[in-house]
Amino acid sequence: MKGYLGIDVGSVSTNLVFLNEGGIIKEAIYLRTQGQPIITVQKGLKELAGRLPSGTQVRGVGTTGSGRHLAGIIVGADAVKNEITAHAVASLVLVPGVQTILEIGGQDSKIIILRNGIVTDFAMNTVCAAGTGSFLDQQASRLNIPIERFGEIALEAESPVRIAGRCAVFAESDMIHKQQMGCSLPDILAGLCEALVRNYLNNVGKGKELLSPVVFQGGVAANVGMIKAFEKELGLPVQVPAYFDVMGAVGVALLAREAVVKNGMSYFKGLSVAESKFKTGSFECSGCPNMCEVVEVAEDDMVLARWGDRCGKWCNQVNKEEKVS
Amino acid sequence: MRIGIPRALLYYYYYPMWKTFFEELGAEVVLSSPSTKGILAQGLKYAVDEVCLPVKMSFGHVLDLAGKVDYVFLPRMVSVEHRKYICPKFLGLPDMIRCLDGVPPLIDVNVNLYRKDRDLYTAVKKAGSYLTANQIKIWVAYRRSVAALQKYNRLLQLGLIPEEALAVLEDRVKNEPLPYPSDLNVAVIGHPYNIYDPYISMNLVGRLRDMGATVFTSEQVPEKIVSKYAERLPKRLFWTLGQRMIGAAFHYLDRVDISGMVHVAAFGCGPDSMTGDMIERQAHALQAPFLSLTLDEHTGEAGILTRIEAFLDMVRWRQAEASGL
Repeated sequence: MKGYLGIDVGSVSTNLVFLNEGGIIKEAIYLRTQGQPIITVQKGLKELAGRLPSGTQVRGVGTTGSGRHLAGIIVGADAVKNEITAHAVASLVLVPGVQTILEIGGQDSKIIILRNGIVTDFAMNTVCAAGTGSFLDQQASRLNIPIERFGEIALEAESPVRIAGRCAVFAESDMIHKQQMGCSLPDILAGLCEALVRNYLNNVGKGKELLSPVVFQGGVAANVGMIKAFEKELGLPVQVPAYFDVMGAVGVALLAREAVVKNGMSYFKGLSVAESKFKTGSFECSGCPNMCEVVEVAEDDMVLARWGDRCGKWCNQVNKEEKVS
Repeated sequence: MRIGIPRALLYYYYYPMWKTFFEELGAEVVLSSPSTKGILAQGLKYAVDEVCLPVKMSFGHVLDLAGKVDYVFLPRMVSVEHRKYICPKFLGLPDMIRCLDGVPPLIDVNVNLYRKDRDLYTAVKKAGSYLTANQIKIWVAYRRSVAALQKYNRLLQLGLIPEEALAVLEDRVKNEPLPYPSDLNVAVIGHPYNIYDPYISMNLVGRLRDMGATVFTSEQVPEKIVSKYAERLPKRLFWTLGQRMIGAAFHYLDRVDISGMVHVAAFGCGPDSMTGDMIERQAHALQAPFLSLTLDEHTGEAGILTRIEAFLDMVRWRQAEASGL
C-alpha cells in the first residue's frame, strides 16, 4: 500500500492519519500530547508502523496544529499548514457541500464559513480561552467525572441551569454556587454545555451567517451534550463526521498529497524517526533586552532548527543554506 | 541640551517634526531604544492597570530615556484638528508619567487645536522657550519642522512604513525602497503605534510581506479621501485616529485591488472596540475577507501566525476561485 500521512499536534491531543492514494482513511490514531509533542509523535509513528501492513510506502507527510513546525522538522514534512486551512480541506472532502464548520479544540475554538467549496470567512477565539476543550476537561476533573462520560450525563438533564459562560473563571464560581444550591449534576453539566455554546456563538460566531449543513468537529465534538446544545441554540441539525477528532490530520494529509504531486518528491525521513533521539532545549539569549527564549531541536547532536528569537540571529544560523541566493 | 523623545504613541506621526524643531534650536534629540521585552516590562510595572498596551509601552520608553537626557518631550496631545480629539488616555499621559520616580523633567506643552489651528503656535512657542528666547528663531524652526513633516507624510503616502520613511529622511538609505514582490494586496487597519511597533504587533507588517502580501495602511490614504469616506457614517466621529481608520478602511473596502483587510486592536482600547466593529460590519456587508487581531501582553506568536497564515490562504483561495482557476 502507498499513501500519505497527516500529523496534527495540538495542545491537548496529537493525531495521526494515514490515507491511501485514493484519499481513503486507512488508519487514525488519537493520542494525548501531555506536553511532550516529540515523544507523542514518535509514539504515534511507532503505533502506526505496527498497524500498517509491511511494505507500506509513505509517499508524503504533512503537519498541522500549534506544534506543526516542531513536528514538521522531526518527520521532514512536505506540507506544514495552519489548522484552519487543514480543517476546511478535510471537511470539504468528507462532508461535500458543507457551509459551516464549528471546531472546538483543546485551547482554541474556531468557526469556518464556506460557500461553494471555498472558505469565505473564519474566526478564532481572541484573547479569551473560555469555551474550549481544556475548560471542559478541567471542570470534569473537578466534578470527578471522566471527560468521556460528560456528554451522556449532560443528556440526562431535565432543566439545564443557567451558567454564566462569559469567562471561564466566573463560570466556575457560578457552577460551584449552583452545586451548593443543590442543583443536580446533569442539570449543571447541561447548563455548562449551553453556556459554552452561547459564549462560542457570541464570541467566535459573532456576525456570521450560519447555514446548513453544519459540521461540528474537534475533540469537543465527542461530547453529545455539546452537540445537543448547539442544535438547540442554532435550530439546525449538526453533523459530526466519523473522523471528527482527527480532521486536522486528514486535511493536512490531503495537502501533503497535493504538495508531493506538485514537487515530485518527498522530504519524509521515514517511519524510523520514531527511533531517533531528539533533544530539545531552550536558552535565554542575552544579546538584547528582549531576552528571547530560543528553542533548539537537535537530532543526534545535530541542530535541526532553532526558533523563538525575534531578530533571527539564532534561527538564521540553521537556515543559512536556504537563505543564500 | 539633550531632549528625549519616546519611541511610542504619536512618535509614529510627528517624530520628524519634533526632531527638526528641537535640532533647529540647537538641542540634541535622543530617541528611546526600539521596543523590547525589557521596555515593556518596565511599562507594565509602572503603568496603571487600566490603560491599553501601547500606553503601557510608552511608560517603558520614557523610563528608557531616564538618565540619558535633560528633558523628555511629552506634549499633552488633546486635539490635533478642529472639532476632534485624541484618545483621553493621551490627555492624562504627562501627569501619569510625572508621578514616576526618576523620570527627567517633562516638556509637556498643551497641543489643542480643537477650537482653532492657530492654537498650535502657543504650544510651539512654549516648547521653544526651553531652548531660546528668540521668537524669530522659534518661528524659523517651526516652519522647517512643518516642512519636514510634510516630506514625511508624502513618503508615508507612497506606501513606506514609518521606519522606512525615517531612514529616507535621515539619509540612512540613498533611494526610496521599492514595493515588495507580492501576489496580493492586504490593508492593515489599526492605530499606528500598534501596527508599526514590531514588538507590539509581533512584526505583523514584516510577516505579511514575507508571506507575499503588499501591505496598505491608513497612513497611505490622503486626508481628503479619509474624510470623504468617513462621511458615510451617520454621525461624525470625534476621534482623529478613529476617523482615519474608518475612512481608510471604507476606502480600501471599495477598492477592487485590495484583496483583504486585517484589523488590529489593542486589548482594552475603547475606541478600537467601536471602530473595529463598524469596520467589520461594513466588511461583512461587502463580503470582503476580514481578519480581526487583538493584541495584548502575550508573547506567544503561534496564535498570530496561525491567524494570518489562514487568512492569506483564504484570500488566495478566493482569488483563484474568482479568476476561474
